[in-house]
Amino acid sequence: MKLNTMAAVMTFVSKIESESARFYETQANVFPELKDTFLAWVKENRKFEKLVKRTYFGVITDTLESNYCFETLDSEGYAFPTNLADGADPSEATGRAFEIESTIKRFYLEAARLSDGLMADIPRLFKKIAKEREERCRILSAA
Amino acid sequence: MAVPRLRNYINGEWVDATTDNYNEIMNPARQELLCEAPASASTDADAAVKAAQDAFHDWRNTPPVARARYLHRLIELMEDNFDELSICQTKEHGKTIDESRGETRRGIEMVEVASGIPSLMQGYNLEDIAAGIDEHAIYQPLGVFCCIAPFNFPFMVPLWFLPFAVACGNTFVVKPSPRTPMSQTELFKLLDEAGFPPGVVNMVHGETEVADALMEHPDVQGVTFVGSTPVGREIYKKCGEMGKRVIAQAGAKNFIVLMPDAQIDQAMVSLTASFFGNSGQRCLSGANLLIVGDDSVYKQFLDKFVQSAAGIRVGDGLDESVQMGPLQNAASKQRILGEIEKGIQEGATLRLDGRKLNLVGDVPETCFLNPSVFENVHHEMTCAQEEIFGPVAGVLRAKDLDEALEVIAQCPYGNAASIFTTNGKWARQFRHEVVAGNVGINIGIVAPMAFFPFGGRKDSFFGTLHGQGRDVIRFFTDPQIVIERWF
Repeated sequence: MKLNTMAAVMTFVSKIESESARFYETQANVFPELKDTFLAWVKENRKFEKLVKRTYFGVITDTLESNYCFETLDSEGYAFPTNLADGADPSEATGRAFEIESTIKRFYLEAARLSDGLMADIPRLFKKIAKEREERCRILSAA
Repeated sequence: MAVPRLRNYINGEWVDATTDNYNEIMNPARQELLCEAPASASTDADAAVKAAQDAFHDWRNTPPVARARYLHRLIELMEDNFDELSICQTKEHGKTIDESRGETRRGIEMVEVASGIPSLMQGYNLEDIAAGIDEHAIYQPLGVFCCIAPFNFPFMVPLWFLPFAVACGNTFVVKPSPRTPMSQTELFKLLDEAGFPPGVVNMVHGETEVADALMEHPDVQGVTFVGSTPVGREIYKKCGEMGKRVIAQAGAKNFIVLMPDAQIDQAMVSLTASFFGNSGQRCLSGANLLIVGDDSVYKQFLDKFVQSAAGIRVGDGLDESVQMGPLQNAASKQRILGEIEKGIQEGATLRLDGRKLNLVGDVPETCFLNPSVFENVHHEMTCAQEEIFGPVAGVLRAKDLDEALEVIAQCPYGNAASIFTTNGKWARQFRHEVVAGNVGINIGIVAPMAFFPFGGRKDSFFGTLHGQGRDVIRFFTDPQIVIERWF
C-alpha cells in the first residue's frame, strides 16, 4: 500500500510498532532469557508510537506539505514476518527480531529522508527512533 | 434514523432557530446527508446579540488571567477531541484528513496565543508628561463582536477572532457558513463544556438574513469576515456607514514565481500543496505559476509541475491514501468547469485536464475534479486575473524578475505572493517590491501563525487592522487615555 500521506505514514507507524511489540510479548513468554529485553522493547514501542502521534498532531498545520512528502514510500518494502516455527530456539527468535528491527529502522530512515526540510520535527523524531532501532540491532547481533 | 437538526447556541443554551427553513448538509465526497442546518431568522441573531450584550459587563470585569483560564480549558478539550474535530471537517468540507488535522492544530494555536492575554493587552504609560502629571494608555474591550465565517476552513477561521475577542473581554457571536455548519457546532459543544458564562460566546446558523441582522445591530461594535471580494467590499462599506470596526479578508489570486535557480524537487512538493491543497479552495493557494527563464528551464519546470499534479490521488478525504478531496459542493464544481471553459476560449492551453476524472475508490463524481493546469496563459486573461477557488493552475512566463513583478502588480488582488529561488538578492527584491500582504520565500502557502497578523492588500483585504497577532488585539480593544495629577 502506498504511504503517500502523513496520515497513512502514521497508521503504518502504529502497525509496525504494535505488530513488533506483539512479537516481543509472545517471545518473552516463550524464552525466559529474552524476557527482560523483549518486554522493555514492548514498552518502548508503545512510547515510540505515542511520541510519533503526539509530534504529528503537534506540528501538523495547514502549511505543511504533509500530503505530498512521501510519494515513493510503500508499505510493501517494509513488511516483516512475526511468526516463528514451533520448537524454534532463542537464536531464531533473536534472528527474527533482528530482521524486524532492521526493517523498521530502514522505514524510519527513508521516511525521515523524504520529509526532511518539509515537516518540522517529524524527520528528527524518525531519525531518533531509527537510532534506537540501530542499537537494538547491535544488541541482537551480540546476543 | 432521523437526520440530526443543528441548533443555535445562545446565552449558554442550545435552542431551536425560529424558522422552518432548514438546509441539507451533504458529505461532498460520499453524497450522504449529514444533517440539516437552520436558515435562522433575524430575530435569532437579535437574541444572540442581546445575550452577548447582557453578558458583556460581567465578562469585561472578569480579570484577564481568569478569562484566559477558560481558554486553557478549551485547549484541553480541543486536544482531547482532536481527531473527532478533524473528521467532522473532512466529512462536511471534503478536505483530506491530514488537511483537517492541520486546520484543527491551527485553530488550537489561536486559542493558545489568545490565552496569553494578560501580556498581550497591556497598555503603556509615562510618568511626568508634565511636572507631576502621568499619562496611561489602557486597552479596554468594546462590547459585542461577530464573525461571518467562510466554508473553506469551517473550524479554524472563526478561531482567528473568537478567542482573541473574548480574551480581551468582549463577547462574541459566530455565524458559521451555511455550507459547513457542523465544525462550529462541534466547537461550541466544547466552548459550552469549558464553562464560558452564558452569553459570552454565541452561535447562530443562517444565511444573509442573519449576517445583515448582525452587521446592522446597533450593539455590535465590529464585524470580522472572511470570504469573497464582492461581499467583503459590501461589508466594509456597510460597517463604515454604521461606524463599526471591520476586518474583511477577501478573495485572492496568488502568484508563485519560480526562478531558474530554484531547488526544483523541494519546490515541487510545496507547489503541489499550494495549488491543489484543500482542492484549491483557500485564499492562500497558489493560482498563477510564473516561470522565469529560457525555454529549457520553462519546459523542465512545467513538465515536472504537470507530472506532479497529474499524480495527485483524488478521492474521499477520509481515505488516507488520498491527497486531494472533492470540491465542497456541486455548484462550485459547475462554476469551476465554466472557468476552465472560459480559459480555453481565451486561448490558454489546457495541458492537464482535470475534467477527466480519475478517482480513488468508489465515490460519486458529483463534486470531484482532478487537478487542471493551463499553460500559455497571458496575464490579461480572465483565468489569470479572476479567483477560480478550485484545483486549477495557470502557468505564465516572464523573461526576468522585473517582468514577473510587473505582471503581479497588474493583478487586482494582493493576498499572497511567493518566490522560489536560491538567490538572496532576487528574494530580497521580490519581498521589497511585490504588493502582497503575505510574502513567501521558498514557501508555497504563506499562512501566518497565530502570533503574526494575517496580511492582505488591494482587493484581498478591507479594513485597517488585520486578523491574528497584535493587530487583532488592537482591533478588539480601544485605548483609553488617562492623564492624572494629584494635588
